[in-house]
Amino acid sequence: MSAAIPVPRDCWYAPAASSEVGRELVPVRAAGLPVVLYRTESGAVVALEDRCAHRAYPLSAGELIGDTVRCGLCGFVYGPDGQCISVPTQPHVPYGARVASYPVQEADGLVWVWLGEPGRAGLHRIPDLPWLDDDGWSTVSGEEDVLASFLLLHENFADVTQVPFVAPDIAPSVLGSTPPPLEVVVSETSVSLHRDFPPAPLPEWQAEIVGCPPDAPYRTEQSGFFPSPAVWVDHWDAQAADGTWIRLRFTHLVTPIDESSSRLLWAVSRDFALGNRAVDQYLGGIFTDYYERVIDAMEIAQEVLEIDGPGPEVNVNADAVGLKVREIVDALLTAEGA
Amino acid sequence: MTETETRLREFESDLVVESYEVVAEDVVAVTLVHPQGEALPAWTPGAHIDLILTPEITRQYSLCGSPADAHRFTVGILNAPNSRGGSRHVHEAVSTGSVIRIRGPRNHFPLVASPRYVFIAGGIGVTPMLPMIAEAEAARAEWTLLYGGRSEASMAFIDQLRAYGDRVTLLPGNDVALMSAALDDRIGTPRPDTLVYTCGPEGLLGAVEARCASWPTGSLHLERFAAKATEGAVDTEFEVELARTGITITVPADRSIFDAVQDHGISVLGSCHEGVCGTCETVILGVDGEVDHRDSVLNDEEKASNESMMICVSRCRSGRLTLDL
Repeated sequence: MSAAIPVPRDCWYAPAASSEVGRELVPVRAAGLPVVLYRTESGAVVALEDRCAHRAYPLSAGELIGDTVRCGLCGFVYGPDGQCISVPTQPHVPYGARVASYPVQEADGLVWVWLGEPGRAGLHRIPDLPWLDDDGWSTVSGEEDVLASFLLLHENFADVTQVPFVAPDIAPSVLGSTPPPLEVVVSETSVSLHRDFPPAPLPEWQAEIVGCPPDAPYRTEQSGFFPSPAVWVDHWDAQAADGTWIRLRFTHLVTPIDESSSRLLWAVSRDFALGNRAVDQYLGGIFTDYYERVIDAMEIAQEVLEIDGPGPEVNVNADAVGLKVREIVDALLTAEGA
Repeated sequence: MTETETRLREFESDLVVESYEVVAEDVVAVTLVHPQGEALPAWTPGAHIDLILTPEITRQYSLCGSPADAHRFTVGILNAPNSRGGSRHVHEAVSTGSVIRIRGPRNHFPLVASPRYVFIAGGIGVTPMLPMIAEAEAARAEWTLLYGGRSEASMAFIDQLRAYGDRVTLLPGNDVALMSAALDDRIGTPRPDTLVYTCGPEGLLGAVEARCASWPTGSLHLERFAAKATEGAVDTEFEVELARTGITITVPADRSIFDAVQDHGISVLGSCHEGVCGTCETVILGVDGEVDHRDSVLNDEEKASNESMMICVSRCRSGRLTLDL
């Protein structure tokens, strides 16, 4: 029995941060495809199929010369459009000597790549994540290859029932005792959740950073968004008794590497204690540890699926979000004819 | 740990009419935007939204603009002579600047990737075909559109369709013999590499359905405007097990499953309450008895599979159902 969930390709994925792509060849895998990223001399990002058209060899193991890439094995040279422009052994380029060139966009400090039917790229949107690249926010982040499918990761982010169990130490104090109603809003391609928590003390780590008394009551609004299989975003906005807000954005960029593994780029952005290096370090430590726990849990779940196959699963009403995520992914795959 | 109450709903928003344009005799194209310019939910070709026109009148209209436009929903609305009030309301009471509440989008008519499409539209049924054609073009698929209507003056969007040249065939005049011959020509012989999409009046859909009976399973995709007539249906009481919630409820003869579930305080999605919009589609986990599918969304195969049902109209003839609620 196979646990593999096909990967949707008609989606903009963000396999790398803009800062990671420069005048060097950067190999990434996304949606089951090998991709090499680089910048041209004028600064535009290029995404090519990372496999020479001549023999099995990654272009990323070759050399970036000007705006072109030369294969490190056979010397075929490719332009940014994927067309082979010269081969070392003959004057003419053989017909069909080209690699795929994928549509690329940069937004909010991220490189977004489209691996589906190129003509349809313009019909799909890139989610807005302005806090990742805005002076009004400070961000700590990390990247990890996860041996679990993109869908397991999304179902985890969508599953509000897990938070008090996986991370009782960083969850808001009211989550375990008196969870407020869960508002779920769906559309054809998206799902969001929303909860308003009554005034309660902030989690210890947050009170420490804000510098408020540990028992100072904050009213918290939590929202979670699934705009596409590439992203899950959580907002945690807390308001003090005096009306001031402190906001957190948790961005999870999920790029399926293949059917059973994913690249997770997580970012925790805050609109308080801006530019404070000590706070960056403190938060970086807390959330590296948190995401390691999440990743461990997801890898265990993937292992169960791979060994024993998908089994019957019991759902509860609070699973409405995760089930809608599955429905959206299924619809995407159906529309792709997958 | 105490209970978490889950309240499920579709996206809803008050939108402003940015433009209201007469695009054919009795047809208007209405474009809606968010009053603060916020982005609207993404959708794909074949999707529709509800316009909540008055507390009593909610109607479904296909989106006919571009899915790439994050800020606009455009719908084409026919002022049907036999309108039940929805389209008449739009034609009489809506103008630029009006505020209309919308719900959705949702899609029960999705465009599946294929190298070749045959699109067949009757009258206002052309609206979902416009973004489908744009997507087929973008994906460099081969396609044709057969578009029938009362008269050229009554057929919306023909100017933009004419730009596609001979891939578009217009059949004005409501000529049944001509349409029948054109259908024989387009879909008389099954082609495994082709998907057929059709939307329009019941007569046209029936004619397309009949010709596609011999096509491979899954070739035909159709969308109905209005509920199929259910004749001689008898409503009886039955039981429904709600698996997620962990309770069993009785659905009285005079209540729908949808109503009975809501009566028990369980949040379910629904919109049209006549088996047309597909919002309340619910997974069937078990059947002891016979499901009485009465909707206009599922095709015969889907109904026979008993994998899901529209709980606003469909029932159980006897015994008990287990639903994923």
